[in-house]
Order: sequence, then structure tokens, then C-alpha cells
Amino acid sequence: MPWNRIMTNTKEDEFFVGYLPTAPPLMGARMRKVSVLLLAVALVSSAIFAWAFRELPAANFEFGIERTFVGTVVESPYPALFVRRPGTTQDLPSYSRYHLVNTGKFGAADAVRGWEGRVAALEGTLIFREGETMIELTAGSLREADGEVIHEGAEQSLGEHTLRGEIVDSKCFLGVMNPGNLKPHRACAARCISGGIPPVLCVRDKSGTAIYLLLVDVDGTAVNDAVLGFVAEPIEITGEVIRIGDQLALHADPTSYRPL
Amino acid sequence: MSVGYQAVGWNPQKKIYDRVLAVGVILYLALFVGVGAAVNPNATAETLIIRAFGTGALLLLHVVLSIGPLCRIDRRFLPLLYNRRHLGVTMFGMGFVHGGFSLFQFHALGDVHPLVSLFTANSRYDSLAWFPFQPLGFGALVILFLMAATSHDFWLANLSAPVWKALHMLVYVAYAMLVGHVVLGVLQVETNPWLIGALAFGLIWIVGLHLFSGWKERALDREMSSLVRDGFVDVCAVDDIELDRAKIVTLSGERVAVFRYDGKVSAVSNACQHQNGPLGEGRVIDGCITCPWHGYQYRPDDGSSPPPFTEKVHTFDVRVRENRVLVNPTPHARGTRVEPAVIPAQCPGTAS
Repeated sequence: MPWNRIMTNTKEDEFFVGYLPTAPPLMGARMRKVSVLLLAVALVSSAIFAWAFRELPAANFEFGIERTFVGTVVESPYPALFVRRPGTTQDLPSYSRYHLVNTGKFGAADAVRGWEGRVAALEGTLIFREGETMIELTAGSLREADGEVIHEGAEQSLGEHTLRGEIVDSKCFLGVMNPGNLKPHRACAARCISGGIPPVLCVRDKSGTAIYLLLVDVDGTAVNDAVLGFVAEPIEITGEVIRIGDQLALHADPTSYRPL
Repeated sequence: MSVGYQAVGWNPQKKIYDRVLAVGVILYLALFVGVGAAVNPNATAETLIIRAFGTGALLLLHVVLSIGPLCRIDRRFLPLLYNRRHLGVTMFGMGFVHGGFSLFQFHALGDVHPLVSLFTANSRYDSLAWFPFQPLGFGALVILFLMAATSHDFWLANLSAPVWKALHMLVYVAYAMLVGHVVLGVLQVETNPWLIGALAFGLIWIVGLHLFSGWKERALDREMSSLVRDGFVDVCAVDDIELDRAKIVTLSGERVAVFRYDGKVSAVSNACQHQNGPLGEGRVIDGCITCPWHGYQYRPDDGSSPPPFTEKVHTFDVRVRENRVLVNPTPHARGTRVEPAVIPAQCPGTAS
């Protein structure tokens, strides 16, 4: 709306006093136009801002939906549950790996302590993204169950590699938050990994496909506290890549991580 | 505040103002969430809420910061200023929702207290690119909270106008922190030119508007000292002052409002005791100088608000000689009665 259409044609002696019942007529009419203009600016801005944020990938957290899982518990390096895959598994491992985490920003190490290799049933909420799966364990739901003990497959070394990517906290990245990576999420990722959530190196190949590698020390132990200063930044890590089933792990000394 | 001695409550003008504000905020948030969910279906509800309230608060802050200089440039914007504090409190409320959700989302339910996490989870204070942007937003929110909490005139009266004004000038510190919060935070990832351009435009708009209004006002601060007669300074001709209006002049470093009304001339300090509003841009209504910002009133001859109100401003001795208005730059104590200068009958300024 042209400026002069809004602001002209005003008697100079009009004077606005807010506590009087009505505004001077011309001033009131002008303010109505200004109000419409401001509302239009607000609405256009709102639509543009909402549209302009980058598109987010599919990442899922079944908030409010609790499921029952039965499988074999693994304690280290990070808690997980192996669940037998139904049907044929010619090209896939015979079990699915679900990382186990607690509610909030905590890993499930305390919850599964003493359960290594035992068959258990538990309730939890599913988190999943691009083939990676995780269960947010419902507190107190872990219990003995009957069933076959699943043994993790043999480790297969894929050799030493230098990989570039971003360290993310797996719980948020897989779906609890979206977006769950890069700088705006850095503080949250540090808080989650500090609380025991498995740190994962997310590497993208040339096609943009993500590869997730669990980060562990050279001796295969958890590295949560050692990676806190590196999360959410572009980073280069050189180490031995080991495949167990369909899970990749990167064994490397955190002091050798190189921020880019 | 008025000569009718009625307490100012939620009067009709404020109700209209607040209705428009409420409609604007609701439509902004609803549209943002609707469009955001449509174009970005994978975004979580928390993400949409955080973004909607954050962008909305920042947009509203730009409106709040624009009103002051716009009114300095053109007094026809003054109705926007009357209830600006409600804009400010609303803007803080939106910022609080944004900050509260963010604090919970990113720092709560962890192994340290959320407020400790806010300052320690990202420790890269030594890096500009990785600088923790969230504490900047928190600092701005603290300032905006203090402003919102003290926005009522109760605090203005108890803190004193200079302290209150200084506190509320911190809004510019808050604005700078919020620009840093956005630039070092979300804009490190969101590179859409519309987002970057909007923030840049907003910053240029705010800085430019303030510089322009300051430049426009500099003539007012030009010291009038060249024509002195018996300690009185010749400030203007009588008919340079519109009837029931004032001319603002600077004498001994202080702005003085010289009013012509009812065949007389009186001079008072230009700064309203309420919020330092420019009395010289006000008008004489019902025999009282009326501040253009919030309608505070003062009698022209003694600079005092009519009872039961107690605000007082400095007064100045005034003479009218040969159709010229002369003002003594030495102020009297606030509320001191000074005999108005009567405009002789042959002067053009006596016409009313």
C-alpha cells in the first residue's frame, strides 16, 4: 500500500490521547490501515519463514505407543536387544539389533547391568530411521522371559579407514528430535551422550546415503565422555571398521579425532 | 491520567490495540505451524512450536523497536506508541515460550541441571563459528523479563524515571544478543536466503530508522545562545509557535518546550516525568500540556500535574518582547509557578 495513501490527508491539529474513548477520526482511520498493513506483514512473514526452513528427513519416535519386545540383552559397549527376525533372512542377519536407551537423556547401561546374554521381555517405545532401530525402555519393564538366546555374529574387520562425518547422539538423531543434528542441536547431543546415549558417527556417501558407525575405543569400550567436545562438528576419524551382523562400529582412540 | 482524575484502566483504545495484537499473534502462530507442517511433515511438533514462537517474537521485537523512531520521524504514528508496553510484554511471552520449550527440549531430563547445561553443554566459547548461541538467547530473555516485569507504572514510580529508562534501554542489548543468537545458531544450518535476508533487512531497518530519526532531531539539540538579552535567550517569534502547541529549543543543554496558549506563553522542561516523552510535541488540552505518548498532563504555568497527580517538571521564566519569545535558560525547581508571558494584543500570536 503506498505510503502516502496511509499517511496523508491528516489535519495537523488532530491529537491522540489514548485514554479518551475514541481516536480522532482521521487518525483512527489511518491506524486501521496501518493495522491491516502490519497484520499482512506478519502473515506473509509467517508463511515465508515456515516455508524457508530446510526439509527434514524421515525420523520416527512412536511417542505414546508402547510395544513389548522379547530378545537377548547385550550390555556392552552400548546396551542393545537382539530380537529374532521372523521369516527368511537370506541376505540379512537372523536377528534385529535394537539399541536400548532410557527415557530422557540417559543410556540404559544401569538398567541392563547383569543381563548380558540373558533372554528378557521389556516394554518400550520404538525409535527408527533409515534401518537403524532403538527402543526407549519403559522404566522397570525389563523381566525374565523364555526363549532362545541369540549370539552375536562373528566380528568382521573391514580394515582401517579414514571417515569424515558428524558425531550425533543416536537417540535424537534417529527420531526423538527432528532435526537432531548440526549446531543448533549440539548442546542437546552433548547432554545425551554425556548421559550414556550411544554416540554414532554419521557418514554420508556421494549419493547422500547415510552410514552409521557406533563409536568405540580401540579396545571396544564406550567413549561417551571422550567425544563430548566433538559432537555436531565436521570431524575426521581414522580407525578400524568392524562389522558385527548389520552393525558397523568404528574403533578409534578419541584423542586422534580431528575436527575439520 | 487526565484532568478528569480517572484512573487509566483497560480503556477502549487499549482494548482495540490488544485485540489487533492478539489476532495478529494467533494468526501468525497458526499460519506458521500450518505451513510448517504442510511443507515439512517430518518436523516434530516441538520443533514447529519453537520456531513459530521464536520467529514471531523476533518479528514483534522489530515492530516494538520501530515505533519509537517512527514517532520521532512522524508524530502521526503516536497511536502505536500509546500501548507499546503490551506489545513488549506479548513479545516477551512469545520469547518465553520459545526459550522454555528449547530449554526443556535441549537441556532437561539430563545428567545436570538444565540451566547448568545451558551454559556448559557447548563449551566452545573460544570459537565464533561454534560459539554457544543459546546463552545469548537466555541473556536476552532475562533482559526482556526484567522489562516486562517492570513495565507497569508502579515500577516506574518506584525505580525512578532515570533508572527505569536505563533499564528499558537494555532492549537494545537484548536485540543485539538475539541477532547473535540467530546468526550463531539456526542460521549456521538454515541457509535459505529468505531467512538470512529477513534478518539482515530487519537489522538494517532498525539501525537505519534510529540513525535517521537521530539525524532528523539533531537540529533540536542545536544550542540557542547567540541572541541573549539580560540573560534571556531569543528563541523564536511568537507566531512561530502554533496555538496550543510548542516549539522545542535547547537551552544550556536541556530541551525546553515553549507553549503558546490562551494569549500566553510558558516554558517547561521537554521531558515528561512519566517516560521522558517529548512534552513539546504535545498539545494544550483543557488548559494542560498533554504528553503525546501517554497523555500525562501538566499545567503550563507551574509544570505540575493537576491534583491528585503529583508529577512535576522544571519551569522557565519567559518574556515576550516585540513579537519575540525570550526564555531564561536557568530552570526553576520542578513545579515552581512562573507567571506566563502575556502576548500583547498587537502581536499576531494573540489570534486564537
